[in-house]
Amino acid sequence: MNFFCEGNVHSLPEGSDSPSRLALEARCLGFSCLIICNHTGFEKVFLPEAASSIQGMEVIMGIEVMAENAKVLHSRARSARARYPFVAVHGGTEEVNRAACEDPSVDLLVHPEDGRKALGIALVKAAQENDVAIGFDLSPMVRLRRTSRSRWMELVRRNLTLIRKFEVPAVITSGAMSHLDLRTPRDLIALAEVVGFETFEAKEALLHPLRILDKNRKSWASPGVEIL
Amino acid sequence: MRSRLPVLRKRRRYMAIEVDSEEALRSVDLSAEIHSAHVSLYGDVGVAGNRLKLIGFDGKFGIIKCSHLKIEESRAALSTVYSVVGVRTAVRVIGVSGTIRGATEKYIPRLSLISADSGGRRIELDEVSGRIEHVQGRQIDLCPDDPCRVKGSDTRYLGLTSFDLRGGYVDADGTADGL
Repeated sequence: MNFFCEGNVHSLPEGSDSPSRLALEARCLGFSCLIICNHTGFEKVFLPEAASSIQGMEVIMGIEVMAENAKVLHSRARSARARYPFVAVHGGTEEVNRAACEDPSVDLLVHPEDGRKALGIALVKAAQENDVAIGFDLSPMVRLRRTSRSRWMELVRRNLTLIRKFEVPAVITSGAMSHLDLRTPRDLIALAEVVGFETFEAKEALLHPLRILDKNRKSWASPGVEIL
Repeated sequence: MRSRLPVLRKRRRYMAIEVDSEEALRSVDLSAEIHSAHVSLYGDVGVAGNRLKLIGFDGKFGIIKCSHLKIEESRAALSTVYSVVGVRTAVRVIGVSGTIRGATEKYIPRLSLISADSGGRRIELDEVSGRIEHVQGRQIDLCPDDPCRVKGSDTRYLGLTSFDLRGGYVDADGTADGL
């Protein structure tokens, strides 16, 4: 049995569902772990302790940092690192994408294609060096239609080619704002295959958030040196 | 007389689906939306090779017929259904079988959770307040007093559970768990 993890969902007050409702739905769909990453400004999640009542689900409170420039991003990511076990960054502009990939305190860069520009080689190399995963939010596959969806798919395919070449880990997520946006792991894998993922890559991408959490739970003296 | 030789017949699979929607849906509307989502994702050529068809739908569970070679394609097409006649909807595949009987007996539950009539009851918490719209098992759909609360997610209701109402929120509905 695979223990899949939904790596980037948003709950009240940003989304429309409480963490316990999202956890309940995610468990029914076949996930074993859920990471709630509200954007900066919505960090105060509605009743996070109620989610721990859901048996068989691990609910982690993370954050999705938003910043307008590199300097703000570095300072917010550093302060978030101390408080949250999972730090994602909402990408978009080239400056923010670059800053996120060069910051070792960042775990995941999501929506890097929001600025309608694909990732560059330097940026992906930086992500590889700093162990930053690239997130593929599949919600545009559901929400968008026709030209806008095909443009989005083109950008994602270009990003995917690059991250394959440099062996940067990928994470796929539904980017859910409510329980109606959640999809089963097999549905997400099927959607990822349409975008261009291989089946094994899509499965790995659903398991990767658990590896990030394991890594963050250990204490590190310096990069590569673990305190036992 | 048979119209076609059995060996020339297309092999099929039957998918049991669960439809999660904010309001009750008609089978015709759901069928049209599934077809539209399928055409939008794979085009006319892809649709011709699959012939996805909604066979039955009881308001919550349904059976869909598809080609035995296009199961993953069908999953992807079904998961792109976003709304049906303006009502937010999610279609989830719960299982695949080779016969209608197999799909029905194996995956579609005979007993479903009782949906209680809320009777216009209210929830008043510090952060959230509103009228209860639907209650099913532990799940509660709440129509918020402040419509801005659901703006970002494009839904009508806030999703809560009975776990959120425990812990002495006596003003929720005068009861221990708020229900």
